[in-house]
Amino acid sequence: MSRGPLHGRRVVVSASGVAAAYAGRLLSVLGAETILLEPPAGSALRSEPPWLDDDSRVSALFAYLAAGARSTVCDLDSEQGRTAAFALLSQADILVDDTPLVWRSRRGLDEAAIAERCPHLVHVSVLPFGASGPKADWVGEEINLLHASGEGNLLPNGLSVETFPDRPPVKIHGHFAELQGGVTAALGALSALWVADEVGGQFVDVSVQDAALAVSAFSIQRLGDGQVEHRKARSFRYGGVLPCADGFVELLTLEQRQWEGLVELLGRPEWAADPRLSDPLERSRRGAEINRHVRAWARSRRTDDVVAQGQAAGVPIAKYMSPADVLGDKHERVRGLFAPVDVPGVGVLDLLTAPFRYGSEPFAVSAGPPSLGEDGWAEADAPAAGAARMQG
Amino acid sequence: MSAPLKGIRIADFTVHNAGPFATHILSQLGAECIKIESAQRPDIFRKPHPVYGRMGPATFDQVASNKLSVRINLKHPQGADLARRLAAVSDVAAESFRPGVMRRLGLDHEALRQVKPDLVFLSICSSGQTGPDAHFSGYAPLFGAWGGLGALTGYADGPPVEMRHVMDHAVGLNAALAVVGALHRRRATGEGALVDVAAREVASSLIGEALLVAAAGGEPTRMGNDHLAMAPHGVYPAQGEDRWLSIAVRGDDQWRALVRVMGRPELAADARFATVARRLSRRAELDALVSEWTLTVAAEAAAAALQAEGVAAHVSWTSRDIADDAHLRARGAIVEVSEPDGRTRAAVGAPLKLSKGGDIGLTRGTPRLGEHEDYVFGDLLGLSAEERRSLERDGAIY
Repeated sequence: MSRGPLHGRRVVVSASGVAAAYAGRLLSVLGAETILLEPPAGSALRSEPPWLDDDSRVSALFAYLAAGARSTVCDLDSEQGRTAAFALLSQADILVDDTPLVWRSRRGLDEAAIAERCPHLVHVSVLPFGASGPKADWVGEEINLLHASGEGNLLPNGLSVETFPDRPPVKIHGHFAELQGGVTAALGALSALWVADEVGGQFVDVSVQDAALAVSAFSIQRLGDGQVEHRKARSFRYGGVLPCADGFVELLTLEQRQWEGLVELLGRPEWAADPRLSDPLERSRRGAEINRHVRAWARSRRTDDVVAQGQAAGVPIAKYMSPADVLGDKHERVRGLFAPVDVPGVGVLDLLTAPFRYGSEPFAVSAGPPSLGEDGWAEADAPAAGAARMQG
Repeated sequence: MSAPLKGIRIADFTVHNAGPFATHILSQLGAECIKIESAQRPDIFRKPHPVYGRMGPATFDQVASNKLSVRINLKHPQGADLARRLAAVSDVAAESFRPGVMRRLGLDHEALRQVKPDLVFLSICSSGQTGPDAHFSGYAPLFGAWGGLGALTGYADGPPVEMRHVMDHAVGLNAALAVVGALHRRRATGEGALVDVAAREVASSLIGEALLVAAAGGEPTRMGNDHLAMAPHGVYPAQGEDRWLSIAVRGDDQWRALVRVMGRPELAADARFATVARRLSRRAELDALVSEWTLTVAAEAAAAALQAEGVAAHVSWTSRDIADDAHLRARGAIVEVSEPDGRTRAAVGAPLKLSKGGDIGLTRGTPRLGEHEDYVFGDLLGLSAEERRSLERDGAIY
C-alpha cells in the first residue's frame, strides 16, 4: 500500500488515559512515527485490564492503543528527564499530552512553556473536561464522562429498559467517550498541522466531555424542539432488539419499502394485512402490537437465517455479533480489517487496524505494542534512527 | 488567523446522520460545505420522522447547520452534470448512499476524478465499499450490532443494547479525521483518495481491546456498569426523581476519600474492603453502601464534594442540564443559535479549541432548501440567470 499521509512526521504521546493514547494510535496508523513518552514505571495504561493473559497480565487495552508505537522512558519529575523530553519534542511535529493541569508546569508541559520552547509544535492537550473552564481540574473516568455528555443518562433503551425499567442507566461498553476524545484529538492535531507552515504550532484543547457531547448532539437538538429525551421514551416504536433461537438481531425499518419488505419476510401474516398499517404514523402508534408479532416470529428462528432473508428482502436486519463473531466474520476477513501483530509476552494476535481506509487496501499497523523503553532514549534522540525505522 | 480548513470546499451528497455529521464537523473547522438535496429527495430532517416520534419537519438540524444548500436533481442528466461541475471546483466530495448508487448516477469516485483528478472522495456506508456484505443496508443500531459494540453493552443478565445517534456521529467523526488525513496526503503526493468508511468497522474500533481478548482466546461479555479494576464503579440513585450520580473509585486513596465524603470513615479500616481486589469481589455490597448514601444527597453537591477530594464523579446529566452548564458554555461546546423565526436555542459547538483557530465553530444555522444557489450556481459555477431558469424548467434544479 502507499505510504500514510503522515509519513515523515513524528508524534510524541504522553498518555495515562485512553483518549490521548488513541489519538497517538490513529496518527500512527496514518503513517506518523509515534513515540510514547513513558514514566519509569510505564504508562498507567499498561496496568489497565482486560488482560490478554491472566498469568502475565498483559493489557489488551494497552496493546490495542499502543500498537505501532515506540516507547521511551523519560522521568519528567527530574531536570534531566525534562531536558531529554524537550530534545525529543524539538524534533517532533505533534505532542499529545493528558498530564493533569496541576502537574503540567512542574513537568514543563504547560501551554506557555511548550509554546516558548517549541513554537513549531502542535500541542494537543487531552483532558476529561478540557484545559479551560470551571471544571478543567475535575477528574473523570469513562463512566463519568459518558454521563457528563448526555448519552449515559439515555441508555439503555429498547428491550433492555423495557425488561429492567427500574435499574440505573447502563454505560456503553469500554471507552466510548474517551475514544471520541481520541478521534477528536487526532482531528485537532491534523487540522492544526494543516496550517502549521503558515501560523506555526498551536495549542489544541480537547475535552473528552466536549467530544462525547458532539456525538450526543441529537439530544440537544431535541431539547430545542421542546423535548427532553429519556431512555424510557426514546425506544423505537417497533423493531429493535429481537431475541432469536441462538442470539439476538437488530431490526429497524425506517422507510416504507423496508416495512413492506418486512411484511414479506414475515410471510404476509393476517395481522399485517390491516390497510391502516400502511401508514407509518399508525405503525408508530401501534408499535407495541407490531412488536409482539415480530418477536413471536423471531423467537424460534436462527440469527443467520433471519439476517440473510431479511437483507435479501431489503429489510435492515443485523446480528448482534460477539467479539469472536466479528473476528471470524467473512466480510471483515475479506476486507482485511485485522492484521497479525506480535504482542510481547503473549504472541501473535489479530489486531483491528483502523476503521477507515484509502482505496480498498487497509492501513498497516507496523508492529505490536512496544515493551517499556524498548527503543531507548539514545535511539529516540537520534533523528536518523527514526527515519530508518519509518522506511522499514 | 482563520479556521484551519478555510479554503477547503466540500460537495456534500450525504444524507441522514453519519455522513452529514462528518461534513458538519469539517465545516466547523472552516471548510465550505455545500449540501446537495432536491425537493423530490430532501434530507430526512425536512420530513416527519414518526419512528422517532417527530411528526413534522425539524426547524433546526445540528448536522445540516453551518452548511450552504442547493437543489440538484441527481437523477436528471443535466442535474448530474451540474453536480460534476460542482465537484470540479471542490476539494472533497462526500456521500453516504449504499455502494453503487453514486456510480449509477455517474457521480462515483471514478467519474468525478475525470473532472477533478485530485479529489478526496468520502464514501460512508454500513459495511464499506468492498466485501461480501457491501450491499447491506443499515442504521446506527445495526452498525453497533454488526461491529460487536451492541452485544457487549448492557446488563450482564439482559439483552444487548441498541446504539443510537452517537453511533452515527462516531462514524462521522472518524470520517472527518480520515478526510483531513487524505488532504494531507494530497498535499504531500498530489493524489486524491477514495476514503472508505464502514460504519460497522467504526463500531468494532470501539471494542478494539475486546477483539484482542477474543483473538487471545477470551470471551468478553456484557458487564453492565462494572469495571475490571474499579469498585465502587457505577451509577447510583441520588435525591429526587430519576436523578443519578456516576462514581468511579480507582485505588486506595480514592476509596478512603469516598468514605470520608460519605461520612463513613470507619469503612476505610474495614478489612472487607481494604484492597482493590477485595472491593472488586464485593461489588454488590459496596454498591448497596454507596447507594444508601447517594439516596440522601443532592447529586450536584455530592459530585462537587467528591471532586474536591479527587474522586471521579459526575451527575448523570439530561440534555437540559447540559444546555445550561456554565463550563460547557465557557468552552463553546454549547452555543446559542438563531432559529428562522428569531428565537434562539442551544446547539453543540466545535468539539475542540484551537489557540490560532480563528472562527471555528457554528457560524450559521440550518439552511433553507436551495438557500445558497445564487452563490453556488451563480458565483461559483458561473451560471447565468437564464441558464438557471432553464435548468429549473427542465427539472434539473428542483
